[in-house]
Amino acid sequence: MLRRALRLGLGRGLLGRGLGTWRGDSTLDWDGKVSDIKKKIQSVLPGGAWNPLYDTSHLPPEHSDVVIVGGGVLGLSVAYWLKRLEKRRGAIQVLVVERDYTYSQASTGLSVGGIRQQFSLPENIQLSLFSVDFLRNINEYLAVVDDPPLDLQFNPSGYLLLASEKGAAIMENNVKVQRQEGAKVCLMSPEQLRNKFPWINTEGVALASYGFISSSNRMETASGEEVTLKRIHEVHVKMDRSLEYQPVECAIVINAAGAWSGQIAELAGIGKGPPGTLQGTKLPVEPRKRYVYLWHCPQGPGLETPFVIDSSGAYFRREGLGNNYLGSCSPTEEEEPDPGNLEVDHGFFQDKVWPHLAQRVPAFETLKVRSAWAGYYDYNTFDQNGVVGPHPLVVNMYFATGFSGHGLQQAPAVGRAVAEMVLEGSFQTIDLNPFLFSRFYLGEKVQEHNII
Amino acid sequence: MLKIIIPTIMLMPLTWLSKKNMIWINTTTYSLLISLISLSLLNQPSNNSLNFSLMFFSDPLSAPLLVLTTWLLPLMLMASQHHLSKEPLIRKKLYITMLTMLQTFLIMTFTATELISFYILFEATLVPTLIIITRWGNQTERLNAGLYFLFYTLMGSLPLLIALISIQNLTGSLNFLLIQYWNQALPDSWSNIFLWLACMMAFMVKMPLYGLHLWLPKAHVEAPIAGSMVLAAILLKLGGYGMLRITTMLNPQTSFMAYPFLMLSLWGMIMTSSICLRQTDLKSLIAYSSVSHMALVIVAVLIQTPWSYMGATALMIAHGLTSSMLFCLANSNYERTHSRTMILARGLQTLLPLMAAWWLLASLTNLALPPSINLIGELFVVMSSFSWSNITIILMGANITITALYSLYMLITTQRGKYTHHINSIKPSFTRENALMALHMTPLLLLSLNPKIILGFTY
Repeated sequence: MLRRALRLGLGRGLLGRGLGTWRGDSTLDWDGKVSDIKKKIQSVLPGGAWNPLYDTSHLPPEHSDVVIVGGGVLGLSVAYWLKRLEKRRGAIQVLVVERDYTYSQASTGLSVGGIRQQFSLPENIQLSLFSVDFLRNINEYLAVVDDPPLDLQFNPSGYLLLASEKGAAIMENNVKVQRQEGAKVCLMSPEQLRNKFPWINTEGVALASYGFISSSNRMETASGEEVTLKRIHEVHVKMDRSLEYQPVECAIVINAAGAWSGQIAELAGIGKGPPGTLQGTKLPVEPRKRYVYLWHCPQGPGLETPFVIDSSGAYFRREGLGNNYLGSCSPTEEEEPDPGNLEVDHGFFQDKVWPHLAQRVPAFETLKVRSAWAGYYDYNTFDQNGVVGPHPLVVNMYFATGFSGHGLQQAPAVGRAVAEMVLEGSFQTIDLNPFLFSRFYLGEKVQEHNII
Repeated sequence: MLKIIIPTIMLMPLTWLSKKNMIWINTTTYSLLISLISLSLLNQPSNNSLNFSLMFFSDPLSAPLLVLTTWLLPLMLMASQHHLSKEPLIRKKLYITMLTMLQTFLIMTFTATELISFYILFEATLVPTLIIITRWGNQTERLNAGLYFLFYTLMGSLPLLIALISIQNLTGSLNFLLIQYWNQALPDSWSNIFLWLACMMAFMVKMPLYGLHLWLPKAHVEAPIAGSMVLAAILLKLGGYGMLRITTMLNPQTSFMAYPFLMLSLWGMIMTSSICLRQTDLKSLIAYSSVSHMALVIVAVLIQTPWSYMGATALMIAHGLTSSMLFCLANSNYERTHSRTMILARGLQTLLPLMAAWWLLASLTNLALPPSINLIGELFVVMSSFSWSNITIILMGANITITALYSLYMLITTQRGKYTHHINSIKPSFTRENALMALHMTPLLLLSLNPKIILGFTY
C-alpha cells in the first residue's frame, strides 16, 4: 500500500525503484526477511544443517585433466598408457569412472577370452601383435615392486581358423597380409590338419590358418555416472546408491564405456541433429548379447587344442585341464537376441552351436553342458571395428570403444594409441587413422573379412 | 595519504550499492582513478621521506611499491570477471570487498611510519588473502594451501612482534623516521643475535627464503587468479620492503648473521630455477620462478650496498609486474582448457596469435632481457654480489642461464608446435584479456625509459 502510494506519487524519478529496493531485491517485507535471517542463523549454529567443512574424501576429486568413462580393459589400458607415456611424473591427472565395481556386466570378464592375430586389416593385425607382446611380457609393464609376479593365465595355444571352399581365397589373402605385418601364421591343407589334430573332421575344410594367441583375465578401481557438454567442461560423477555427486572439472573425456558407449555419446550430444549431417551422426555402438557355453567332454580334443573357429561360425577353446571347453557361435542378424538382459538361451546351443561343433569334432557329439552365461559385445553396427580418436564436434571427447568382440585383443595397443593421441597429437606407433569417428559420416567402412 | 586510503575504503560501499550490471565497471574505473592519484607520489624531490602526517609517509622505496599496489587492483578486478561470472551476486560483492580490504591494508602497510602499525597491518593482510585462497580457489588442495600460507607466515612473524616491542621498550619509539637517525650499533650479545633473527625471520618467510618457501607453490597454485596476482606481485614484496626497513636498525650483527641466509638464497635461486625446468603445471612453474627471483632480492638486501639496494628495488617492481602478467596468461589458458597442465594446451600460437605476442613479451621480461627493468635489477644485484665476493658470479651466471632456459621452455611448450585436437574450439582472446596484458606490459616497458623512479633511495 505504502509502496504503491509512493510510486504513484513520485513516478520514475529518483525513488523510481521504490523505497528499499536499492539493496538487491529487498522489499518492505520485514517479517519475511527476519524469519529468513533467523533460519540462516539457526542453520549456522551447531546442530544446524549448514556444514561447510564436510569430508569429501570418498568422492572423486574436483578436478582432473582426463576423465575416462568406463573402467573396463580399454579404459584402464588408456589410463595406464597415459601415465606411462607422460614425459614427467605427475604431469597428467587421470580419473577413471566405472559404474559397476564388480564388473558384473563388463564385456571382457564375460568373454571367451581369445586373442588372435588373424585379421585382414593390417592395423588390426598390428594392434593384436602388440597386445600379445604386452600380455606375454606383462611383468615388464605391470609388475609392482615387492609384489609376486602377475599370472594372467595366458595360455598360448594357437588359433585355428577353418575356411570352407568359398572362404579359402579370402583366407589366403588374409594370411599374406598377416605375414607382411609379422604375425606368425601358417596355412594348412586338410591332410596337414588331420595329421596335426586327429580329432578334427576335415570335411568341407579347404584351408586352415594356424596362428598364435591365447586367453586371459583380471583388473581393478572407482565409481559413478554423468552429464556432459559440447566442450565437455565438467563430468558429474554420481556416487553409487546415493544422491551425492561430484562435478569433476576436466580437460579431456575418453569414452571407453564398451557396450554403453552409445548412451555416453548421446549424453555428450553426439548424434543430436538432422540425420545425414555430422551433428546427426550417432556413435553406432550398441550392446549385442552373446552367449558362452561351458561343457565337459571326456573324449574331446586334448591339451594341444587351439582356439578353433569353424567356417560355419562356431568356435570353442579348451578351458583348464579337466576336458572342459568354452565356446559359442555368433548369431546371424535375424536371430539377434534381445540385449535388455543377460539371460541365456539354452535352446540356441542345442539348435545352432552343437550341430556345427559335432560336425567338426565328432567327439563333441557326447558333450554335457556344465554352465552358460551371456555377455555384451560393444557392437559397432557400421563396420564391426573399433572407434578410436577424437570426435570432430565434441572436441574434447576421445573414443576407445566399439571393438565388437575384439576389445581384449586390442586393448593394450589401443590404449597406447589413444594416449599418444592425447599427449602428442597424432598416432605415433600404429596408425589408426582409418578408425576415426569421421568415417561414420563419410561412409568409409573398414571391414574385416573374417568376423566372429 | 588519506586521499588514497579513503577512496580505497569507499570502494567497499561502492560494490555493495552498485547495480548488478555495474559492479565491475564501477569498481574497475574507480580503482584506476585511485591509481592515477597515487602516481603523484612518484615525484620524489630528495632522498628524504615525504611525510604526510604522523602516521603515513612515503619515500623513494615505498612510493613505487605503493603505485604498484594501486595499479594492480583494477588489473585484479579485470582478471577475475570471468571466473566469477557464474557466482551469485552477493559472492561477487564479497570477493571484491576482500580485494579492497586487502588493498587498504597493503597501502597502509607500505606507508606506515610506526613499526608496530606496520606489523599490525602486515598481519592483517593475511586474513583477506586466506579467505580468498580457501573460499574461491579451485581445487580441494586449497585448504592445505591456506593452512601452509597462514601458519608459515604467522610463525615467522610472531617473533617480530616481540622484537618490536622490546625495541620500543629500549628506545621509547618505533617511529621509523626517528629510528633512522637514532642508529646506534647494537652491542654484541646473544640476545641481540636473537633479536636479529626475530626481526628478520618474518620477512624471510614472506620473501620467501629457499628453506621456508614451501607455502608459496601451494598458495600460488591454489589461489584464484586475483589471489595469485596479489600474492606474487605485492605480498612477496612486503617481505623485501620490511627487510629493507628493518636492516637499518640491526647493525653490526648483519655482517655475520647474514651469511647463512645469503648461502641459502644463493643456492636456493639455482635450485628453484632447476625445479622450474621439471614442472608440468604451468602455475607451479611461475610460482617457483617467483621464489627464484625473490632469492636475488634477499641476496641484495643482505649485502647492504647502495647498488644492491637499487637492484633490489628495481627487481621487486619489475618482478611484480612480470609475475602478475604470467599468472594472467596462465589463467587465460586455464579458463579455456580447464587444466593447468602445460602439455594439454600446446601450439597456441596458431590459434591465438595476439596472446602469443603477450606470452613472448612476458617470457622475455621474465628472463631479464635488456633493456627492461628486470635486467637492470638483476644486473645491479649481480654486480654488487660480485664485489662482495667474486665466486658468486658463477652462481648468478648459472641462475641467469637456467632462468632463460625455463622461460623459453614455458614459451615453447605452450605456444609452439602442433596444437592438440581438443583445443581447436577455444574462444578467441577477449578484449578484456588483451587490455589486461597491455596494462601490465605498458608500465614495464615505459619504466625502461626512466628507471630512476624505481631505483629506490640510494640512487
